[in-house]
Amino acid sequence: MPALRFMLNGEWRSEERASPTMSVLDYLRTVARLTGTKEGCAEGDCGACTIAVACPDKDQHAYQAVNSCLMMVGQLDGLSVMTVEGLARGDGGLHPVQQALVDTDATQCGFCTPGFVMSMFAFHQAGERITETAVHEALAGNLCRCTGYRPIIEACRRLAGLPPFVQPLAKEDAERLAVSPDEPVGFTAPRSLGALASALAARPQAWLLGGGTDLGLLVSKERQSPTDVISTARVPELKNIAVTADALELGGAVTYSAALPHLDDLFPAFGALVRRIGSRQIRNLGTIAGNLATASPIGDTLPCLIALEARVVLRRTTGARHMSVEDFITGYRKTALAPGEFIETICIPRLAGRQRFFAYKLSKRFDQDISAVIAAFRIAISGGKVASLRAVYGGVAPTPARAKALEMVLTGHPWNSEALAAIDAALARDLSPIGDHRASASYRLDAAANLVRRLHADSSGDEPSVRLEAL
Amino acid sequence: MGRPEPRVDGRLKVTGNARYASDFPVANPAHACLVTSAIAKGRIVSFDLDDARAVPGVLDILTHETVGNEVHEPKFFGSGGTASTIHRPLSSAQISHAGQIVAIVVADTYEAAREAAYRVRVTYEEEDAATTLDSDGVETLPATKVRKEHKNPRVGDAAAALRAAPVTIDAVYETPTQHHNAIELYATTCVWSGEQLTVYEPSQFVHALKHAMAEQLGIDAEDVRVISPYVGGAFGSKAAVTPRTALVAIAARRLNRPVKLVATRAQGFTIATYRAETRHRVRLGAQRDGKLTAYVHEGWEATSRLDDYLVGGTETTAHIYDVPNVSTRVNVVRTDRATPGFMRSPPEVPYVFALETALDELAEALDMDPIELRRINDTRNDPITGAPYTSRSLMACYDEASRAFGWRRRNLPPGSMRDGDWLVGWGCATAVYPTFMGAATARVRLARNGATRVEIAAHDLGTGAYTAIAQTAAERLGLPVAAVEVLLGDSALPAAPVAGGSNTTASCCNVVAKACDGIRRRLVRAAMRADRGPLRGRKPSSVNFVDRHIAGEDGAKVSLADAFDMLGAPMIEEYAHWLPHGMEPDALKKLHLGSAALTGGAMEDRIAAAFGAELVELRVNVYTGELRVPRIVGAFAAGRIVNPRTAHSQYVGGMIWGIASALHEQTELDRRVARYVNTDLAEYLIPVNADVPDVQAILVSEEDRLVNPLGIKGLGELANVGTAAALGNALYHATGRRIRKLPLRIEDVL
Ligand code: FES
Ligand code: FES
Repeated sequence: MPALRFMLNGEWRSEERASPTMSVLDYLRTVARLTGTKEGCAEGDCGACTIAVACPDKDQHAYQAVNSCLMMVGQLDGLSVMTVEGLARGDGGLHPVQQALVDTDATQCGFCTPGFVMSMFAFHQAGERITETAVHEALAGNLCRCTGYRPIIEACRRLAGLPPFVQPLAKEDAERLAVSPDEPVGFTAPRSLGALASALAARPQAWLLGGGTDLGLLVSKERQSPTDVISTARVPELKNIAVTADALELGGAVTYSAALPHLDDLFPAFGALVRRIGSRQIRNLGTIAGNLATASPIGDTLPCLIALEARVVLRRTTGARHMSVEDFITGYRKTALAPGEFIETICIPRLAGRQRFFAYKLSKRFDQDISAVIAAFRIAISGGKVASLRAVYGGVAPTPARAKALEMVLTGHPWNSEALAAIDAALARDLSPIGDHRASASYRLDAAANLVRRLHADSSGDEPSVRLEAL
Repeated sequence: MGRPEPRVDGRLKVTGNARYASDFPVANPAHACLVTSAIAKGRIVSFDLDDARAVPGVLDILTHETVGNEVHEPKFFGSGGTASTIHRPLSSAQISHAGQIVAIVVADTYEAAREAAYRVRVTYEEEDAATTLDSDGVETLPATKVRKEHKNPRVGDAAAALRAAPVTIDAVYETPTQHHNAIELYATTCVWSGEQLTVYEPSQFVHALKHAMAEQLGIDAEDVRVISPYVGGAFGSKAAVTPRTALVAIAARRLNRPVKLVATRAQGFTIATYRAETRHRVRLGAQRDGKLTAYVHEGWEATSRLDDYLVGGTETTAHIYDVPNVSTRVNVVRTDRATPGFMRSPPEVPYVFALETALDELAEALDMDPIELRRINDTRNDPITGAPYTSRSLMACYDEASRAFGWRRRNLPPGSMRDGDWLVGWGCATAVYPTFMGAATARVRLARNGATRVEIAAHDLGTGAYTAIAQTAAERLGLPVAAVEVLLGDSALPAAPVAGGSNTTASCCNVVAKACDGIRRRLVRAAMRADRGPLRGRKPSSVNFVDRHIAGEDGAKVSLADAFDMLGAPMIEEYAHWLPHGMEPDALKKLHLGSAALTGGAMEDRIAAAFGAELVELRVNVYTGELRVPRIVGAFAAGRIVNPRTAHSQYVGGMIWGIASALHEQTELDRRVARYVNTDLAEYLIPVNADVPDVQAILVSEEDRLVNPLGIKGLGELANVGTAAALGNALYHATGRRIRKLPLRIEDVL
């Protein structure tokens, strides 16, 4: 009988009984009988189910917080998993993270607490510097309905200077975890590009799983049940990140978290936007290619990729083809992916010459909000004139909308307040937003125009382009 | 008491060892999944269950065809019962609201149950549904008609006073549908052992749930036990008994196997209760000096066709300010929706929003500082009855809050404060919550070594009841808090009231103190009678319990252990019951039957309420209209504070609730299909940590010798009242635009 192998709270576990497509949350609560991990939504929205996982591949020995409700048991193979039950010290003492939460009186009902404990544990393990922003970001994926967060944030601040408590994986455990397992039925995690292509060619109907943050939702929201899953997570080639002279190249299994430092470096506004996508738990699991492949209308990254003229390499057993991201998205949740094909690389050209990149997100709630309106601009200004502009909006149409009329009326013209007079009419031609419960159509149109005014204010000076934090 | 003790359950919660309902291990459970109605009104024509039954592991599928009359009609709590609705689940083909339970699927695993639930096909015959206040086909009725006990507070001649008033306000306000969205989902596990049923379900009233199950299933109440030691947030949603519990019990009985249900987040929007949308017309009349002369308030509240739920918040608002002429009226609007229910400060949140916004409009019309207007109309007596407040510190709250906030630097004219791209507004409003209490019973046992156990079927929803009760017993018995073990949330314990109306601390601490006093009396008597005892012959009133001793004023003392030896017993157990002022003795009998009767607020001879003042800063982006709230200060007075730490936590959490309720929270209804659209936590926006501003909660000291022996007022539902008005008022101050409908939306500002 094929078995999954992983470590759970420091102990080896070999799992034969559980279905590999069962959610890790269900597995922990019903099979492993570890009920400290809570279910608050089963949709990746609340963080009550947060656990920490470490993957021995490459040098990622640190624990990352993930939503156990969005993961399938098959994805645990080869990981070291930590739950709230695994933290307390052998002598019965609390882990520093737990102690901090007790000391700041950060629990009311306590239902969210194990999730916060695990997010903070991963945060603390990673040895990140404790800043206001880092704390907010680390906790953005955890909701608390009772405390109003203040004491939890305070507990997180108190971690500053405390040494990590659980050591990274022992070398021999890491090596053992890295060994390829017997593949469980119904869930395949190929270990090479070729193997992935063949698996997909043989089973073109299988679900192609990146991090699972989108597909996991199909189970809960769209009422689909996976019977056959192929995961990209263990294909080393797909985890590559290359920074070349011309471009940033991201493999098809690169997570948001892995891409983030590079985005921060090359396209800071893109990085700032990604920090506001989902939560850290989601970014640790979710891949940029996965977001692209589901072509979700509210996929926050799509407008940025299109504005930056990103391209994709699509591969299958018979070869590869290239196309722009703009062409790749063919409709509402539709893409140019053919059966048996997967995204091998996303290639984002560096900014050239005077090009600068700006991105804006308007939402009611600061984090983790499905955006009402999102705008991405790549603009070059030369001699007071707009030399070039690519403007792309999200949240205003079923697919990301390129604002070509806007680009046309602004390009070649002086970048001044007269230019701004024309934008409302141009955008009215470009965009036909619909009204829904998130925002009315006319609000979206007004906001779209106001973001151009904001762009004007931000791009007229010389300072770089991150204005997101001010929102 | 009064010390900022850390929570006694903190450690259990951070280690994942606190057991919530769905965490209890039961032997070999089957898992249930609900199927809910796709239509809002009509009937089920047929089921196609073949596909669902074909899923491996499916054990049973219950529909109205199988359950039929098995559930006896529940009694609606609004008519003295315990249920959230009189609806009998799975009793007929009739559909009365979207998301009504139409089937329950039970399988060996949750995955199989869910898969099968997806495959249940239902054919409906749909009728037009009237879903909200303005829909065609709703039925509007005065509250006095649907609820005999309902009274619309009134005094003087408001109509004449309005006509005569030199300054008047007349405006309409609206508040939206909202859902509690506690992080814990609605879960129920039922286990039968012969005739006996054990229910694990998060509950704000275990005794009510016990009796409800007995009634609905036609079994003996003594055969039912409800266990709910930890509740993952409730906010009113787990107070009345909802239809799911009986179904899970029936499913478990049919299979003769424990059945476990955890409803999905989306199902939680329709299988339990919610805060209904309301509309208000408020008219105020005042003299030019700001003195109010007339207050007229008419409210409309959505309810269902089956049950007339109503909050009738004028019962609170009519008593707040010194107005000689008051006239109020409340109406229910029957719609094709599920029955609404309690949600944190049910009457106050909508009605106080309306009144406190109207007052701001009046201050604007008078060109007067809004705090000054409230000062002019402050009172020591109930304006309706003339009865005195047991204590009231509203203006002290305003004084402390405005000092901390720096209110003096506020510019009066709207739109006059700006910081870069942001328009800045400062607003204020009053928070108020009537003080409620209920009859309660408790058992306390003290052992010779000081180990104490308190047993009371009260509930800790995260509010800190475990800690407050432990502190009370510790103080009365002169022990450290760690010596006291508190057992709550189990219907096998002595009955305590519903965890509603913020009564728990007042009711439970008073009864526990009374039980402790019984223990004290027995020990003191023994110590005073003991030959050669150091306290021999003292008066009982001259000794106290401190530091594991009975101590006289002069320093003479007897250790607890010695007192026990003098008594000749290894331990003492005392059972006590407590009746709040003005409550009929039969309240105890009713309590044992699960009745939720409380007393308090505006009583015949007195009125009891906690007050607060909330001051906020709101910023509006000139480009995008985005709203941000950088800071909020609230000052609150609620009698004696048992634990300043947990009180502070409630106030801060409450103000964040208030902010969310003003800026984010609205359950949106797609009127065409009469269904909610944002039924998950990605789209029903509760705040995330980055939304949370600088929050300051100030505890204003207040002594109340009348309200109850310990002088405690409830405070859990105080701080989220008034916040929305303060924010709306700040928005007006920032922009000069008055938004009278919640939530305050970006687009209303742009
Ligand atoms: S249960 Fe809510 S994020 Fe997983
Ligand atoms: S303490 Fe209740 S949800 Fe956080």
